Amino acid sequence: MSDLIQASARDLSGPLIELTDVKTHFKTARGLVRAVDGVSFTLERGKSLGIVGESGSGKTVLSRSIMGLLPPKAAVRHGSIKFEGREILGLSRSQMRGIWGSEMAMIFQDPMTSLNPVMKIGRQIAEPLRIHLNMARSDAWATAERLLTDVRIPEAARRLNQYPHELSGGMRQRVMIAIALACGPTVLFADEPTTALDVTVQAQILDLLGEQRRDRNMSLILVTHDLGVVAGHTDEIAVMYGGKLVEKAPTRSLFANMKMPYTEALLQSIPKLTDPSHTRLSVINGRPPDLVNPPVGCRFAARCLYTQQRCREEEPPLVVTPEDPEHSYACWYPVGSPAYFEAKARIPSNSTVEVL
Amino acid sequence: MRYFLQRFSQFLIVFFLVTFGVMVLMRAGLNAPGDPARTMLGGTASQQQIDTITARYHLDSNILGQYWFWLKGMVWEGDFGYSVQQNLSVVDYMRPTILTTLFLGVYSLVWALIIAVPLAVYQAYKRDSFLDKSGNFFSFFFISVPALVFAPFIIYIFVTKLDWFPRIGEKIYPWDDLGAHFKNFFLPVVVLAVPLSAIFVRLLRADMVATLQSDFITLASAKGVPPGRTLWTHALRNSLFSLLTSVGVNLGGLVGGALIVEQYFNMKGMGFLLVSTILSKDLFVVQSLSAILVATVVLANLGIDLMYAVIDPRIRHARALS
Ligand SMILES: Nc1ncnc2c1ncn2[C@@H]1O[C@H](COP(=O)(O)OP(=O)(O)O)[C@@H](O)[C@H]1O
Ligand SMILES: [Mg+2]
Repeated sequence: MSDLIQASARDLSGPLIELTDVKTHFKTARGLVRAVDGVSFTLERGKSLGIVGESGSGKTVLSRSIMGLLPPKAAVRHGSIKFEGREILGLSRSQMRGIWGSEMAMIFQDPMTSLNPVMKIGRQIAEPLRIHLNMARSDAWATAERLLTDVRIPEAARRLNQYPHELSGGMRQRVMIAIALACGPTVLFADEPTTALDVTVQAQILDLLGEQRRDRNMSLILVTHDLGVVAGHTDEIAVMYGGKLVEKAPTRSLFANMKMPYTEALLQSIPKLTDPSHTRLSVINGRPPDLVNPPVGCRFAARCLYTQQRCREEEPPLVVTPEDPEHSYACWYPVGSPAYFEAKARIPSNSTVEVL
Repeated sequence: MRYFLQRFSQFLIVFFLVTFGVMVLMRAGLNAPGDPARTMLGGTASQQQIDTITARYHLDSNILGQYWFWLKGMVWEGDFGYSVQQNLSVVDYMRPTILTTLFLGVYSLVWALIIAVPLAVYQAYKRDSFLDKSGNFFSFFFISVPALVFAPFIIYIFVTKLDWFPRIGEKIYPWDDLGAHFKNFFLPVVVLAVPLSAIFVRLLRADMVATLQSDFITLASAKGVPPGRTLWTHALRNSLFSLLTSVGVNLGGLVGGALIVEQYFNMKGMGFLLVSTILSKDLFVVQSLSAILVATVVLANLGIDLMYAVIDPRIRHARALS
């Protein structure tokens, strides 16, 4: 791997990304959509964070808010996003452009629509190299070939001259990864990078991401609706529901001691290998909350199996578990508490709860 | 390859149908031997003149035979026939008018594109801004009010009243006097290009707006590609399909418009010639003019068909396979 594309030596003190009460609301005809509604967390350098939640919970909007890649209009933003200690929330697109591709890179969900259909693969990979690193055309082309080899694309030299439609979905996602890695970003956002792919390819792509992250000392934010995907691939997991963070913990701590009934429900909804690859989550009853008029109290209360009166009236704050200071959750009656067992005892096993 | 053979045979079929149709129409009622020659020559022609022309162009054979000899003469000998009324070969008679109409058509198309493309790109980029909305209004306006309708007013204001532009009449080639050439063509080109560019702006803007919402455009931003490059390199090439189709569809209309504009501005173009020769029944000239017009339009459409493949590798590959 060339020095140019290797992540440059980094200052390892201080968090890489620090969010404080980040809100992203969209003005729509229906009203203000509170897609992200007060999210705070920090991400250390070189670490990987999984953001998990059902579709519509605000994961994409959150990751694009951090990157500043939202559609320029209609978004109302609030809070603070610090990247390497620098506030980036108010920055204009032209100020962000120096960061995009070089410091922060992103992989999208659908490799079929994310590459320019009329531009050769090689040019698409070379583009950020030429823009950020001022590489000459031939150097950029050679680096692009090396990147394709890094992401395990066979016959890299020939692929450079091909167009996206000549490659399979898995190959295209590898090309997306090569583009994202090109300038050696500090952090990589992967938004559902395997959702559109065959089950057999999914694991390969996740392994590739993990391996490249370690090799390049890069942070990774892996967004997915599938708790099973992040389980083996990230250091930490943040669970989102209705635009809010409802639980965040180191991966091991989360699985050993999960607190939110929502996280528990997500765990139970991990697709089985026997399911078809695009099955939607169906285990949790009911629908995600209305983001224009979110319910008072806990946003999950309407669908939670263990709801109490308090849940519908007061919103639970994010609190730290006694066992692990890095594990926080937002629930009045968390999994394992007396109220939880009491409620569980009342529910006949195997039944489902009617949606309110 | 098979694809282009198919397209080319379509071209031939259209060409034959139109030119043969014109021949049949022009000769309606001229069934007796010598009739076509007599019609062309006018009442004062001698029998000997009639016989010469009839023999030279096989005008005594049946209509299919005449068509065959006419085609053969054009293709093999470059002999488009003879304008007896002008005592000129049709080629010499047509040449200056073809140039005039060619300038008119090409300038109009090129200017329509030069106006439309940047405007559409800008409008799509600044979607819903004041400028975008004004652009939409004006394109709507010029689509709704055919320029051919207000051309007489333009002529009245700018030519008759203000005397800013000449009323043409004299054919002025760019190699004679470039300034006068452009001055001559300015108003007729405006009349043809403005409504055309209004259509182009609408179509290209709509395609650009759709393209700008695609993932690969967001990816271009995420790579740090500046907006100008995103628009012109990534978005435009993916948004050209409706525009290109519309160029093809409107070519025929452009030719038709050019023929009318020539009447307004008194330009000695193909339209001018076509009208006068239809009226004077100068058969060969009418046939040759329509043959050239239809061939140009259909060939241009073939060229546009090729352009799709140049722009989009997926079309190129699909065609290569078929
Ligand atoms: N540009 C936008 N304008 C209005 N609403 C939006 C926009 N983008 C996303 N949303 C809304 O924000 C919510 C969260 O969306 P998203 O972040 O895509 O969810 P996820 O990625 O978790 O599936 C959804 O209800 C969606 O409809
Ligand atoms: Mg999403």
